[in-house]
Amino acid sequence: MKRSALLLGPLLALTLAAPVARADVAETVEDHILPGLARFTATTATLAAIDSCEPEALQVAWGAAFDAWVGVGHLRLGPVEEEGRVLAIAFWPDPKGMGQKQTNALLAKADPAVLEPALMAEQSVAVRGLFGLERLLWPTETATGDYPCALTHAIADDLARMAAEIDAEWRASFADHLLNPGPSSRYLTLTEARQALLTTLITGLEFNKDARLGRPLGSFDKPHPERAEAATSGRSTRNLELSLVALRSLARSLHQPIPRTEAAFDRVLANVAKVDLSQVDDPTMWLKADILRQDITAVREAVMAEIAPALGAGVGFNAADGD
Amino acid sequence: MQRRSFLASVLAASVLPQLSWADAGDPAYLAAAQTADGAFALHGLSLAGESLFALPLPARGHAATAHPTRPLAVAFARRPGTFALVIDCALGQETARLTPPAGRQFNGHGTFSADGARLYTSEVVAETSEGRLGIWDTASWQRIGECATHGVGPHDVKRLPLSEDLLVANGGIQTDPTDRTKLNIATMRPNLARLGPDGALISLAEAPEDLAQNSLRHLALLSDGRAAVATQWEGDPAEAPPLLALWEDGRLTFCPVPEAEMLVMQNYAGSIAYCPARAEIAITSPKGGAVQVFDAAGRFRATHRRADACGVAPAPAGFTVTDGNGAISTLGAAGLQPATRLDVKWDNHLIALDRA
Repeated sequence: MKRSALLLGPLLALTLAAPVARADVAETVEDHILPGLARFTATTATLAAIDSCEPEALQVAWGAAFDAWVGVGHLRLGPVEEEGRVLAIAFWPDPKGMGQKQTNALLAKADPAVLEPALMAEQSVAVRGLFGLERLLWPTETATGDYPCALTHAIADDLARMAAEIDAEWRASFADHLLNPGPSSRYLTLTEARQALLTTLITGLEFNKDARLGRPLGSFDKPHPERAEAATSGRSTRNLELSLVALRSLARSLHQPIPRTEAAFDRVLANVAKVDLSQVDDPTMWLKADILRQDITAVREAVMAEIAPALGAGVGFNAADGD
Repeated sequence: MQRRSFLASVLAASVLPQLSWADAGDPAYLAAAQTADGAFALHGLSLAGESLFALPLPARGHAATAHPTRPLAVAFARRPGTFALVIDCALGQETARLTPPAGRQFNGHGTFSADGARLYTSEVVAETSEGRLGIWDTASWQRIGECATHGVGPHDVKRLPLSEDLLVANGGIQTDPTDRTKLNIATMRPNLARLGPDGALISLAEAPEDLAQNSLRHLALLSDGRAAVATQWEGDPAEAPPLLALWEDGRLTFCPVPEAEMLVMQNYAGSIAYCPARAEIAITSPKGGAVQVFDAAGRFRATHRRADACGVAPAPAGFTVTDGNGAISTLGAAGLQPATRLDVKWDNHLIALDRA
């Protein structure tokens, strides 16, 4: 056996024993981002295509669209940042109840002009998007007349329009910014593109901890299950779980292998199955949900210890520690 | 003053003719940075973003201030600060090192008197975070006094134009003397205090009650005697209040942004600058990866994106913006364009050397 083959032998064996998937910016765009955006576009189009006013059919299609949004909602960069789209799609948290107030006002006025797509796109972000639809599909008072259903259809159309625009802008140009960093890109270097994606992973984890968990948890003595995300439709825990699954997919597409990160995700996903965020006024449930916050902190630490150095990127020198 | 720096200054004075800012290569800006190997430095930058000099700092820097006539800069440590370096930018060396007295901490900013004879340093009483301005003689670099800032946790301080009066941004946040932990978020009460050169309180501007958790932190002076202040919201992160306010004669007016722009900055403005040529104000948010531009009346104009953008200072046709990825960008009519990049992480502030 030749010397080079001797050296190659063990290396090959190692490679075969532990196949290392390719992972980096390009894989993240191809395997995580674009498929997720396509799902969001397709599910919102399906919702918008419903002509009936039957709440059941609309609720199911709305649920599928929300599932798809949670799969990409952490990707706060590029087209979703333009024109206030991220807020217009998902206006939550809403501590002052602006959404309900403004929805009530729209229903009271019942202005048909608002239903026109151009005017709907200019309505307050608080009445639009997934949460605007949730209030109409699970009304606190029995709806009367044709207007609530027409408004539902108009908001669904507006949501589908935004999803399609985001999807199209990603494919037409923004993906290219990430894939081809340089002087004409939003990202000057590959490191900056990696940093942008790593940042979405970290801020996505923090949103789950601080908002999806932190808002209903409040404090042990004063929990607020009613403040959970999408509590009216009963999606709060599902959103948390789907988001963590999506963030694990993002982590996997950014770098491989990531055993510590995988273990941390395994732990939080196992524990999330034991939690119901609508029940956090029960002290036992509160404690179980509180453990998820620690589990998410552990995921964040694993990501920063394992993925960040591998990418040669952090979350931003100034962003990390302000003054 | 230390013996060595005393000798250095005597030597400089006797051997060399009076040096000016031109002898320092006429830097347009000063900026602190972390270098690739993890050390810290203060750079003098040209308008185009070339580094004209880089002097080592003993720890992470924050802001700096330039002497009005001599090519001297004082670079301040990040709070809680234990040092401020007086740097001769022409000789490329440290000429004095200021240390706060026992029980005081530097808070990252300072400013010179109009004639440059005095330096004012933003400080806290370490135990309570009560604000103080340290007063230093710039011939001997001896501390000659201090006065109250009439608030808690002062941060930026600027001397008002055509005046010896000082405007202090009392951020309102009490912090643990050892680790920056915030201690009084529920009860904080920031203000902008206008002080006479002797420390007398001339006016005190407070935010309305519902914005009491909006820490008033960084200042930019406008051409007409007003000032703009950039804030950091410490209240409910879902609320997204305005992060820019205009100060005029002791009154504050907050400048809201359109609904779609509300959360762009992630409730955090890290730096602020005013560009006289375009009559525009820019605030930066490294957390949001964005720069927002307003007109001089505080009306929102545009958002520009750049990850970890924080340092901002006026340029001839707009602004220069620095970020944690080492880029130096121009921001003007053509939007935000990275112009050059160094292998450093630019820290919070870019200081324009707009000497009279």
